[in-house]
Amino acid sequence: MSTQPALVSENVQAIENLEGGPARGGSFRGRRIGGDSWTTTFLLALCSLTVLIPLYVTIAMAFKTTEQAVEGSAFSLPAPFSIDGFREAWSLTDFPRAFTISLLVTAGTVFGTIILAAFASYAISRNWERRLFRYSFFYLLAAMFIPFPVLALAQIRLTGLAGLDNPAGVTLLHIMFQLSFSVLLFTAFLRSIPMELEESARIDGASTWQTFWHLIFPLLAPMSATVGIFAFLASWNDFMMPSLITSDPSLQTLPVVQSIFQTQFSNNYNVSFASYLMAMAPAIIVYIFTQRWVMAGVTQGAVKG
Amino acid sequence: MATTTATPVTTPHAPRPEAGPRKRRKVEPIYYLFLLPALVLFSLAITLPAVMGIFYSFTNSIGFGEWEFVGLINYQAMFSDPAILQSYLFTFGFAAVTVVVVNVVAFLLAVGLTARIRFKSGLRAIFVIPMVISGIIIAYVFNYLFSNSVPAAGSSLGISWLSESLLANPDLAWVAIVVVTAWQAIPGTLLIYIAGLLSIPGDVYEAADLDGASKLQALLRITLPLVAGYVVINVILGFKNFLNAYDIIVGLTNGGPGTETRSIAMTIVTGFTGGDYAYQMANATVFFLITIVISLVQLRATRGRSAL
Amino acid sequence: MRFLLSKPEAIPYFRDLIAEFNASQQDVEVVFDTSSNLQAGFLRGNPPDLGLLNYNMEMARFMARGALSDLKDMPEAGRILPEVQDLVNNLAAYPGRTSVLPYSVMAASVIYNKQIFADNGVEVPETWDDFLAVCDTLKAAGVVPIYSTFKDAWTVSQGLFDYTVGGMVDVAGFYRQLREEGTNVGPDSEVSFAKTLTEPVSRMEMLAENYTNEDAASRGYGDGNLAFSKGEGAMYFQGPWAFGEIAKSGPDLDLGTFPLPMTDDPESRKVRVNIDLAAWIPEDSTHKDAARTFLSYLFQPDVMNAYNESQLGYGTTTDAAPVTDPRILGMKPYFDEARFYQGASQAIPLTIPTENYLQGIVTGAGVEPTLQTLDADWARLALRQ
Repeated sequence: MSTQPALVSENVQAIENLEGGPARGGSFRGRRIGGDSWTTTFLLALCSLTVLIPLYVTIAMAFKTTEQAVEGSAFSLPAPFSIDGFREAWSLTDFPRAFTISLLVTAGTVFGTIILAAFASYAISRNWERRLFRYSFFYLLAAMFIPFPVLALAQIRLTGLAGLDNPAGVTLLHIMFQLSFSVLLFTAFLRSIPMELEESARIDGASTWQTFWHLIFPLLAPMSATVGIFAFLASWNDFMMPSLITSDPSLQTLPVVQSIFQTQFSNNYNVSFASYLMAMAPAIIVYIFTQRWVMAGVTQGAVKG
Repeated sequence: MATTTATPVTTPHAPRPEAGPRKRRKVEPIYYLFLLPALVLFSLAITLPAVMGIFYSFTNSIGFGEWEFVGLINYQAMFSDPAILQSYLFTFGFAAVTVVVVNVVAFLLAVGLTARIRFKSGLRAIFVIPMVISGIIIAYVFNYLFSNSVPAAGSSLGISWLSESLLANPDLAWVAIVVVTAWQAIPGTLLIYIAGLLSIPGDVYEAADLDGASKLQALLRITLPLVAGYVVINVILGFKNFLNAYDIIVGLTNGGPGTETRSIAMTIVTGFTGGDYAYQMANATVFFLITIVISLVQLRATRGRSAL
Repeated sequence: MRFLLSKPEAIPYFRDLIAEFNASQQDVEVVFDTSSNLQAGFLRGNPPDLGLLNYNMEMARFMARGALSDLKDMPEAGRILPEVQDLVNNLAAYPGRTSVLPYSVMAASVIYNKQIFADNGVEVPETWDDFLAVCDTLKAAGVVPIYSTFKDAWTVSQGLFDYTVGGMVDVAGFYRQLREEGTNVGPDSEVSFAKTLTEPVSRMEMLAENYTNEDAASRGYGDGNLAFSKGEGAMYFQGPWAFGEIAKSGPDLDLGTFPLPMTDDPESRKVRVNIDLAAWIPEDSTHKDAARTFLSYLFQPDVMNAYNESQLGYGTTTDAAPVTDPRILGMKPYFDEARFYQGASQAIPLTIPTENYLQGIVTGAGVEPTLQTLDADWARLALRQ
């Protein structure tokens, strides 16, 4: 399980090797011809339509007028080009507020997961021989097997009693559900950091606290990125937990707002699609700019575990 | 929670070898400080609700107001409840089918995307997009396509079973749910397979080339066994995620037509919206036990076989 | 003091009213809450101080578990029409308490397009046979008789199911007996869904099968309002709440209402009613006095009448003004004479997925097995609660 390369850079490297010049490994199609396989390229491009068509429909529908959205085919181009859908969806769903809340919850989850998991993982991996720390590891791991629905009803009650029936409570629960997986990733990674590094820091007089912040945490950076990406995806896209935990609908995240207004969109398909597009766009845009790291990070997470 | 991407299940690691010499050293107090926040919050947010939920499953509470103990009646009623049994049947069947679909498609795509093709990075980027979109929003988009565009296309092509909405067809609505779930789940699985395929050294294929193996033979005899560990991981993770199906079903069919596509998660949540708190807590407890058993069985069955 | 009202169409009216009330005195400050989740509120122990909401099984459960305070001593309680107060008690009661005061009643029946009826030479039917004849005439003329929207399961239960059952069965009596039977409900009980409702539900299935639009299964409520406003159907099984939506795209449509005749006796026709808004104050409220002050303000005759007139509702008090809107005038005689019933689907606890079951029937599941499932669910629920 720990035989795979440990550093994220190696994975990025591996992917880049393939994206650049001649393949290092794994590619056997078209090898005999010597050039790129156009058949495979064509087939894949065809398959990619299954991804692109729904996205195209979303964009096309969003820019139509209500009449055109109701009457016409979903695949027709908007004519005339209209941004009424956006204007209405923007104010109807109070987009800026929902977006801000989604952003805060996601940022809080990413930050909290990285910090809490790194803390705990460090303590666990450096005291593995102690029963308390070893058992804590398995205890935290257990949540990976607990489906949220099982805890949902009780959590609704408890968050209510604690005054956490709001985005703060959602953030906390998101962190808790990410914790297991993240601790798993961090402890595996910490194992690959040579003890000598740490010991030399201590000889220089650094305390454990200083060692963690100045040496370990920076070394963890690639794995923190992976943990962060997983936390981001889980938190940004989650629907079930915020919909159940947050009591005030004006404090709901983007996915939940979509479902609240789904009935009110009624037949104004252009408004509903504009609203879907606004909810999708931020994550897609972020993804386009960071795709190399996202791919490497996800791969890394999978391979390390 | 809808964690759509990879969450590897793994057997615990052996203690680090370096730990040996330091065995009897006293633990620095600061380590407790490092560990404590996670442990305390985790206990409050996960363990306590779990215990509380199990407790209430033995009562007739509707979530508030007056209640009393009813012993095992909730469990007794549950096992004869066709709605709950159907939700288990549906959910497990759905998860099994989806796992197969997702893995076959993702594996083939990964083979294609690691082959010598043009526009490699562009194509990869496209195939991964669904991973970053929220399930419920994808479901709403597909809901429209299935209700309007697909039937329109179906009737103009003269295909009768397509000219009616899939979502309104009691026998086929689950297919729509599999399609949309797969659409969203394939990217994560795909990336893991790409990683797996990239870890295979190229000279393996050169050897196969010399032996005159066909492409298909190379795929089945060489590639597949070499990525077997990744297949195991993907199947385990996928199955676990699909058992929690909720968002996409809410957005597509809301359990309909009739009760054909109600998942376990949906029936449990009705304990909240429908005032059947204690009863659905019993359901949740049973679901929990089943999940644990499945996880343990999977861990045991794959111990040592997962190359990861 | 927090005031919860979530009916979307009524929000603007009450927003103005609250502003007026807050300005008129210094003692009570009303905070308007239009969207918090009720179950969650009670579950968490922080419900609103005063609620004015649709009264259904969900509210009935709150009442039955003693979560709502007694309002018997308020003068407003004495003004409620007894037959309307009975509607509350039909669903559930907490011994010795009057926990809920009805504010507005909605009467629902078949909405029909007068123009299409006139064009095809058909009149409002008074018996079941008449009704079928009307449907056949319309169908033969190429008109969709009943525009339906099965994709939204609730439209099946509130329309087709409630109208057919309410027109044939004494709904309140049926459920009273059903509750008495409790765990015994099944093949051997005196009354049961399978025994009592098979006839009306079979008729409902027959109507769905023969007289609805072909794409009903993939149409939702929003689609239905639009289609009906464009004259794509002659009849529409919806309540008065749909009038506003229909008017958005068909403001000049001439619409009327009539109760669905289910027997050969024109005298037996009844309309479906539901308590659209009812007021209650939770036991957990920490501002009961303030809540009562505002409740009295809301129940002043002119405030109530103005509300009901704007929302096409019927008043609930002995001194309420009569309705005048032509679209709902057709139901007035029935309401005045208390020839009404509460929707049969409304009396089943929400934990039983009734709407889904009924949607199943109209999309092809059998009548008998589905009703037997309902019986079994009912008995199981009685066993554990």
